[in-house]
Amino acid sequence: MLVAWRYRKRENSFIQSFDPRAWIIFYGCFLFATLSFWDVRFLLPFLVIAMFVLLTSGVKWHEIRRAFLFIVGFVFFFAILTFLTGRGGTELYEQEHLIREFKASFSILGWTPTLKVTVERAFFSVSQLVRVTSIAVMTILIPYSLNPALYGITFKGIGLPDKFAYAMDLTMRFIPTFGRDFQLTMDAQRARGYELDKISGGIIQQVRKLGPIFVPVTIHAIIGSEDIIDAMDLRAFGVGPRTWLDVLTYQTRDRVLIAFGVAILIASIVVGLMGMGAFWVPEALINMF
Amino acid sequence: MTSLPSPLVVDNLSFRYRDRQGAAIDNISFEVKPGEILLIAGASGCGKTTLVRCINGLIPRSYKGDVSGKILVFGEEVKDWKLSQISQKIGTVLQDPERQILGTKVVNEVAFGLENLGMPREEIYQRVDEALNFLKITHLRNRETFNLSGGEKQKVALAGVLAMRPSILLLDEPLASLDPASAQDTLDAVRTLADQGLSVLMVEHRVEDVLRIHPERVMFMSEGQVRYLGDVAGLSKVVNYREVKLPAQDIIDRAKHDPAPLVLSPLPGAGKGPDGEALVKFKDVAFGYEAEREVLHGINLEINRGDVIAVLGPNGAGKTTFVKHAIGLLKPKSGSVLVNGRDTREASVAEIASMLGYVFQSPSHMLFAPTVREELAFGPTNMKHPKDQIEQEVKEALKIVNLSEKENDPPLALSFGQQKRVSIAAILAMQSKILVMDEPTAGQDYQNYMNFMDSILKMPVFEAIIFITHDVDLAVIYANRVLMVNDGQLVADGKPQDVLRDFDRLRANRLIPTSLLDLNLKRFSTTGRFMRAEALAHI
Repeated sequence: MLVAWRYRKRENSFIQSFDPRAWIIFYGCFLFATLSFWDVRFLLPFLVIAMFVLLTSGVKWHEIRRAFLFIVGFVFFFAILTFLTGRGGTELYEQEHLIREFKASFSILGWTPTLKVTVERAFFSVSQLVRVTSIAVMTILIPYSLNPALYGITFKGIGLPDKFAYAMDLTMRFIPTFGRDFQLTMDAQRARGYELDKISGGIIQQVRKLGPIFVPVTIHAIIGSEDIIDAMDLRAFGVGPRTWLDVLTYQTRDRVLIAFGVAILIASIVVGLMGMGAFWVPEALINMF
Repeated sequence: MTSLPSPLVVDNLSFRYRDRQGAAIDNISFEVKPGEILLIAGASGCGKTTLVRCINGLIPRSYKGDVSGKILVFGEEVKDWKLSQISQKIGTVLQDPERQILGTKVVNEVAFGLENLGMPREEIYQRVDEALNFLKITHLRNRETFNLSGGEKQKVALAGVLAMRPSILLLDEPLASLDPASAQDTLDAVRTLADQGLSVLMVEHRVEDVLRIHPERVMFMSEGQVRYLGDVAGLSKVVNYREVKLPAQDIIDRAKHDPAPLVLSPLPGAGKGPDGEALVKFKDVAFGYEAEREVLHGINLEINRGDVIAVLGPNGAGKTTFVKHAIGLLKPKSGSVLVNGRDTREASVAEIASMLGYVFQSPSHMLFAPTVREELAFGPTNMKHPKDQIEQEVKEALKIVNLSEKENDPPLALSFGQQKRVSIAAILAMQSKILVMDEPTAGQDYQNYMNFMDSILKMPVFEAIIFITHDVDLAVIYANRVLMVNDGQLVADGKPQDVLRDFDRLRANRLIPTSLLDLNLKRFSTTGRFMRAEALAHI
């Protein structure tokens, strides 16, 4: 059975005060607008919007803590990795201005590990951090704030055909279901003395030893999908245009939100066409090095 | 004047699955009349589910193979009907409601079929409310489906089918995951539906439970063929009482002429360890999956050598949560659980597993190996048992669950009942001192589960056995101690004859006294202990 994310109705939640269609449209605009910038000056307002939405969402810290720490930790890890290796931003800048260089006191086959701290690398990491954090914060809130009972009608309401809208509904609920099945399988195998953290050997051997987890989870997902198809077939799904029981109605505030989202997106595109918003490093900082 | 054609006629129906040899069902013919309940019984793999799939149209549309014969619904052959047409005449409730429920909220779930038919919204609401009202579950209307108990889910699944107003209702083991009171509620609803003119085909292992609602006819299947089709009274005369669970008095009448069964002695492994030391100790255990909601409260108990414990209680009472603490899969929020004197917080699950083997409810979450033999060797190998010992352990476990001839088959290709037995054997092969089984008999046919329960209790390795069950008779026959859990609390703990004697308490915990329990209580002054019907026949 498909399980749902941990949604619940929250009083005084800004995000929940909108029609879910309006929110999804705004989220789409926000996403594409954010992705069109690398200039941290343009990205910061998006982070401010994301933090505002987070803080007014009514989601309690203990509910979101694990997911939030995981995703933000992941973002930090990659920002630091980019900073250390210098990879990832090289297509956005041509020159680098060295702040400091750290050389290892040893060499490996003639190669000496060296860490170059440059103005461009530092700024690229900051831009990346702001950009991805803004998107991650907005994304993480969706499962906690969108009523799972309205997934289907929401996607139908933004123009998807019946079958696709219902498929999106099922897909959104498949993710937490997969998580539950993974945990159940882990528990069942641990009860047979299996210890994931004690897996050893070469890469191929290690992958093989993950079989007791991945085979049941995969098979369960396939069988579960077949069950869903049977259950849908047995109740006449897909025979023609369907009635959606829930009805969504746009209010003025929803129209304002959509207009705001579209305006942000158009402005971002225009700014980009005017040659602004690309990767930026303060001139003064460059002149210092 | 011409009479109306029968709602359902099955004529010489045979089917063979594309990838399998031999027919799954062979030359099945029968007819169902309006307002009739036809109970279909038979062992696992006898072809009951295949027959249901043929009637509801999933065969040959979703499951491919060779079909011959005819199915007529109100005189029309359904071969060329679309599944949507069939589903408006024939409603199907699957064995596991979890596999059927699609909606996030109850109202959406019940409305799903009607939405697909494109009905006006007002009519959908009217039919949804009608179905909920009929099943007396109006209070669930706006609840989330995944938070419902097993019994509630089954009723919601049934409501979703009834809302489509079918003329024929197919129920494929609808009681398998229900506590006795929920099963009784479902059966009562089915009887009422039939009395209102619906034709009902009910596939069910729990024959005795279904007999309470007086099905008009019974069909007994074996190896894909009909072995008996007739009234209820004739069933007990033609089938072996070891194959189908009949009312206790019927078994006693039949078993009188057979040799008396062997009496199970106390657990053979119980005398091995030192006396007086508890194997598992729960001290003031409280637990909640979420910070704000506690699901276990103040559990205190000791599991001792020789205990054969049946854990009874309603769906969603916290039974599984309780036993998961014993193997350390869940750690108490407060209090402690000691296994062999060691706190489960200080030991890994793998370490505890060598002491306590735990059989999960669903086999599909653990089966992965290419052969049954390798599946069974997985646990003992993780426990670092010597190779020749593993071979022995695997052979013995296979024999107990009656799957020796399947040792080279892929476990995932077996039927659900067989997979369940593989999952039990996989834990038996680990030779842990304590065996914990979560609903070991769910989805199993009577003969198979009685055989493997008998064999497990004879195994010399176990010092204690715990099983969660909804089957009161399983507790009557095998347990020497009964724990009753309700709403996260231990509401009773004692000998079966003491705990199960209180019928009011049973009903308060959604259990229903069975004919076997009743007979055992009546004869207790003579027998001095509970026993199976075959044994009572010789007293």
